[in-house]
Formats: sequence, C-alpha cells, structure tokens
Amino acid sequence: MNGLMKGLLASSVMALLITGCGGAPKSKKETVVFWQFFPAEQIQPVLDEFAKQNPDLDVQMEQLTWQSGLEKITAATAAGNVPDLCELGSTWFPRFASQGALADWSDSTAPLATGMVLADMARVNGKAYGLPWVVGTRALFWNKDLFAKAGLDTSKAPETWPELLEASRKINALGGGVAGYGVNAGERYVLFKKFMPYGWGNGGTLLTPDGKGSAFDSRANLEALDFLLTLGKNGRVDKQDQLDEAFMQGKLGAQISGAWLFRKIPKQAPDLRYGVALVPKPATDHGTHASFAGGELLASFAKSKNPTGAWRLAKFLASREAALLLCKANQSVQPAVVGAVADAYYQSRPNEAVMVEQLASAVPTPNHPAWLDMESAIEDEVEKALYGKETAATAITNASKRIDALAKTTEPAAR
Amino acid sequence: MTARAAKRRGRFEPATWILLSPWILALIVFVAYPFGFSFALSFYDYSPLNPAAAKFLGLANYAEALKDPLFWTALKNTLVFVFGTIPFTTSLALGLALGLKRAFKGRDFYRAGFFLPTVVSIVVISLVWKGLYAPEGPLSALAQSLGLVPPRWLLDPNTALASIMAMDVWAASGYYMVIFLAGLQAIPEELYEAAALEGASSWQRLRHITLPMLKPTFLFVLVVNSVRSLQIFTEVFVMTGGGPLHSTVTSVFYLYEQAFYKFRLGYASAIAYLLFSLTLLLAFVQVKWLKLEGPKS
Repeated sequence: MNGLMKGLLASSVMALLITGCGGAPKSKKETVVFWQFFPAEQIQPVLDEFAKQNPDLDVQMEQLTWQSGLEKITAATAAGNVPDLCELGSTWFPRFASQGALADWSDSTAPLATGMVLADMARVNGKAYGLPWVVGTRALFWNKDLFAKAGLDTSKAPETWPELLEASRKINALGGGVAGYGVNAGERYVLFKKFMPYGWGNGGTLLTPDGKGSAFDSRANLEALDFLLTLGKNGRVDKQDQLDEAFMQGKLGAQISGAWLFRKIPKQAPDLRYGVALVPKPATDHGTHASFAGGELLASFAKSKNPTGAWRLAKFLASREAALLLCKANQSVQPAVVGAVADAYYQSRPNEAVMVEQLASAVPTPNHPAWLDMESAIEDEVEKALYGKETAATAITNASKRIDALAKTTEPAAR
Repeated sequence: MTARAAKRRGRFEPATWILLSPWILALIVFVAYPFGFSFALSFYDYSPLNPAAAKFLGLANYAEALKDPLFWTALKNTLVFVFGTIPFTTSLALGLALGLKRAFKGRDFYRAGFFLPTVVSIVVISLVWKGLYAPEGPLSALAQSLGLVPPRWLLDPNTALASIMAMDVWAASGYYMVIFLAGLQAIPEELYEAAALEGASSWQRLRHITLPMLKPTFLFVLVVNSVRSLQIFTEVFVMTGGGPLHSTVTSVFYLYEQAFYKFRLGYASAIAYLLFSLTLLLAFVQVKWLKLEGPKS
C-alpha cells in the first residue's frame, strides 16, 4: 500500500534530480524548463520555431504522459522543484491556482484577452493564472449512411432535440446491432461532458453567479436529463472508446464526441460517410447549441526560476501561428485564438471547422477549487438515473445538494 | 551450525557495509522514509500544492474515513475481491502445479504458458481484457453464438467487479503455480514410495502427503496473495475507473483518487494506514490459522 507514497517520493526525487541536472549552466543561454503532454514530433517543430526567434533562450522540453503527468506535477510542486512553464488541463487548473501554486499573470495576459477564446478559463477569483493555449470541445458526429437507411434527410444534421430523437428512434429500429444514439457510462470524467451540453443548451447552469451555491437543481437541467435518458433508450450506453468504435464500424447513428476522431477515422474507417454538427438545441426558437469546453493552459509556478523566460515562451506558444502549427499536427485540439477558423487549413476541412465553430457556444467548467468533486457528483447521480437506480428528478436534486455542500466549503484549500 | 560459522556470519567487515550500502540507502529513501512520512501525513491536512499550509488534525482523517460511505464501499469491494479471488487462484494454481509436475511431452511449454501473464505488464493484460469484455468483443460474440444474452460485463454494476476478478484469477494463477511447483519438488519421493508400498490410493497420497507437506507453501501463497489483492489498483484504474456506480472502487483506487485528483494526501494516507492495519490483521489470522511460525522461504 505504500507503493503510492513510494511512487510519490520517488518521482519527487527524480524531479529534483532532473531539474537539478538541467539547471547546470551549459552555455550562456538562459534555460526555460517546459513540461508538456504533446508528442515530441508534434511540439518540437513549434519549439524549433521559437528557438529561431529567441536565440538567447534554451528551452528544455520534457514530455509528460497522461497516465502519470499530473502525479509528477503534483510531486514537483510539493517539493518546490517546478518547471518554469507547464501545461495544465483546465479541470486541474483551479486547484493549482486557488492554492497559490501558480504565478499571477493578470497584468501580462490582460492585453491579450480580447484575442483569446475562453480567456475566462484562466481566471480564478478574478485573477489570471495562465494563458489558454489550445482548446477542445465536443460536437455531434452523425453517420450519413445510417441516416439514409432510416429514411432520414442526409443533407443536414439534426438541429434540435426532437430531430435528434426522431433520428435516433428510426436508426435504432433498424436492428442488426445498430444503435441510434450513444450515451456514455462506466467511466469517469466523460459522462458530464456529454450530458451538460444539453443542460447548458437548455439554459441550465451549475453554480450561482457568485460561485457559493448550487444552481444545478433547475427545470432546464431536469429536462436535459430526461432527454438524455430518452436518447439512452433509443441507443446504447457504453464507454467512450466503445462508442467511437461502434461509430467507426457504422453501427451508431449519432453521438457527441471529440476531435480525436479526425485522426482515427481516416485510419480505421476511411470509407465512413459521416458529418459533424453543432450539438442540437432544445427547439428552433429556444436554447443554444452549447457544448463542453475544455483545454490546456500554460502556467508558470510561484516558485519557477525563470518567470520572464516562461512568459516569453507562453506568449509565443499561444500565438495564432504557433498554436495553429501545433493544432494542425495534432488535430484533436483547436487554437485558443479568435478567428482561427478563417485559416486556410480549416477552410478546407469542414468537419474540423465545425469544432472551431462549436467553441463559440461552448461553456468552460467553473473554476472552483472543488470542481472535480462537483463533476463526480453530477456523474454519480446522472449515471444512477441512466441505470434506473433513481429518477431523473431525484438525480438532479441529489447532485445539486452535493454541489451545494461542496460550494459552501469556505476554504476549499483546507479540504 | 558450528560456533565458528556463527561467529563468521555475525562479523561484518567494512566491505560488507560498503557493498550493502546502495541497497540500504534505497530502502531508507524509497521505503522507510515514505513509510514514516505517510504515517505522519495521516494526521495532517496536507495538500502537495501548498505544503506550507499543512494543518495538524490529530485523528480527524481517520474519523472521517470511518464515516465516509465511499471508504466503506471501497473496503467492501476490496474484501469481495480478496475473498472472491484467492480460493480460485489458489486451487487453480495448485491444480496446475499438480498437473504439470509429472513429466510429459510439452510440459515446459505449458509451464511457460501459464506463467506468461506474470511477466506481462498488468496494464497490457487489463487493456486486452477490456477488449475481450467489450460489447463487440469475442466474449459477447461467444455468448451470442451459444444463444445466450451476453452480460454487459464491465458496464453492469452487478458484473463489473466479478469480471475484473475473473481476469485476475487467470493472470495471477501462473505465479502461484510456480511456487506450488517448487513446494511439490521439495517433498521427498520416499514418502510417496512408502505410501505406494502400503497401497495408498492417489487421493490418499494427495490428502495425507502432498497437502500436509505443502502447508508452508500454502501459507506463503495465501499471505502474499492477500497482501497483493488488498492493493488491487491497476486493473481498476485501466478497466473501469471505479465505475459503474462505484461498483469497482477499491481501497487503493479510492486513496489514489483522494491523493492525486483531490490532492488530499493526509486523508489518503489515513486510508492507506487503515488498509495497512487490515493487511496485518489478515496476515496474522492466516499465520495463526495454519499454525506455523512463518514461511520458510
């Protein structure tokens, strides 16, 4: 059982050794230690470009893995041996920011705010602790062949809840292992991102404007959950990778999924005839095409050794050109800059362009220090409703009570 | 042991210390220090993001754990896992060892085959089984071809934990098979020869020679497997993330979440020490039950 603590200590010692060695002056160049999660072949060309423009800075990039990266950053923070610049996921971000681990970038980022998509993602308690780098959202993926088979219009995607429901019903009725709509379950930190687009689109919210209480128990969210449950009855409930697999095999009519499919589909299902559309809204005259917005932020730590170098690198990475370069290589994320959709790359890729368009109405999660607990609470209760363990109304009320209790925790850092 | 040999053993040359020092150092840094540190942490409110703000809480973390319904769910799941897998793993391992003890053509191939899961990363095994359990996967296809409605395996709260347990029995048996094989080989052949002369049946030989002689091996297998099973984590992390509906949240998975998603290292440490106490207790009961001083190996 002490494997955990062993691992933590081991990684902190490793971090110490690595940063300790890395800090040794090899040349007159100033060093910027940068930790990030993108594969080296995607990020390196961007860093090479930075090196060309900034010959006085030597970037020491280290690639983290999604399996252990957060642990490593956590251990490094505990040990005080932090990198100068670090990529942080938007759901982890509020914890780091609210506990004073990150450098306050309010002044430096202020002039850039107007050109940024989702600038609020970096704001905690009115201050900016980072720079949005690349962002991602979820949109509706629909199978045109199945729509045709079910006698539906294939010239346009479903735009409203009733249209989506009708399509799911008809496709689900095709039989032969084909399901109408894919609802997520059986894993964490996914279901929320597929449920709340309907909640937000219907005018639902999570927290009160001051962030000190829950606003989740609303008619709007209840209607959204009822809708999701109806979709579930006209489709299948499964894990994300299974839903993606079924979609690529032509066995799933529609699902809300992410841009990672743009890399997978050409490789695994090059003949799939599919479309990408904004998440349907409740009715033509009501609601919005909301979706979940998440992303990666660049942040420096309060204890970073080279804050100015970190800021220079961050500003470059988040710039339109650099971010586009990375996003084109990666395809799963979009630049967090206004007007990226105008780029020739997206003009020639309509499905990927929908993702950029979807970002405009996508909603980031609240930057509350207890956010991950709140997300778990929503997923717990929504999943119970999906499995028929409680009614939609009870699920919404219970989730709201739990969120409220978490929001009222006056000093979340002490938890 | 002669007196001279004892004296020779007791004497530590400086070279001994020098040669041992890397190991001792590693033990202190990676085992003893974290062991003590996490014990101290269990009395604190400690976030790794802000260590300076640590607050002494006394026993509050322990009290909170005992009142936390998810802690109990996790503990229940862990115990179901331990007591649900160990009888199967042990009997399967013993059965394999007995079957693969005799010499026959291809024996080494089978021995290596059953041992193989031990040398494969548990992450790889978990990913493969996740695919086997997928609704489009081979297990569901098999059930369908037999005219059965395939269970939802990892997606059904009633079968998810059992599915992971079945995989674990398969993956773990090979290792304990090797331990049993070693135990079997240590049983003197004369005992069987004598029994054969007395006209003992093969069942009687198993019941009155093999099983009693394997007692130390049983103890070792039970204790080691209990300690390992109580720490079940990777399989859950890879295959279900604790879901659906918390049906596969285990103690170590829960404390991992508390430590690395919620940054509550103090609380996670308290859970770790509660689990540690349980592990000690279980090992103690097993040793008492088999009435032995301890494994010889």
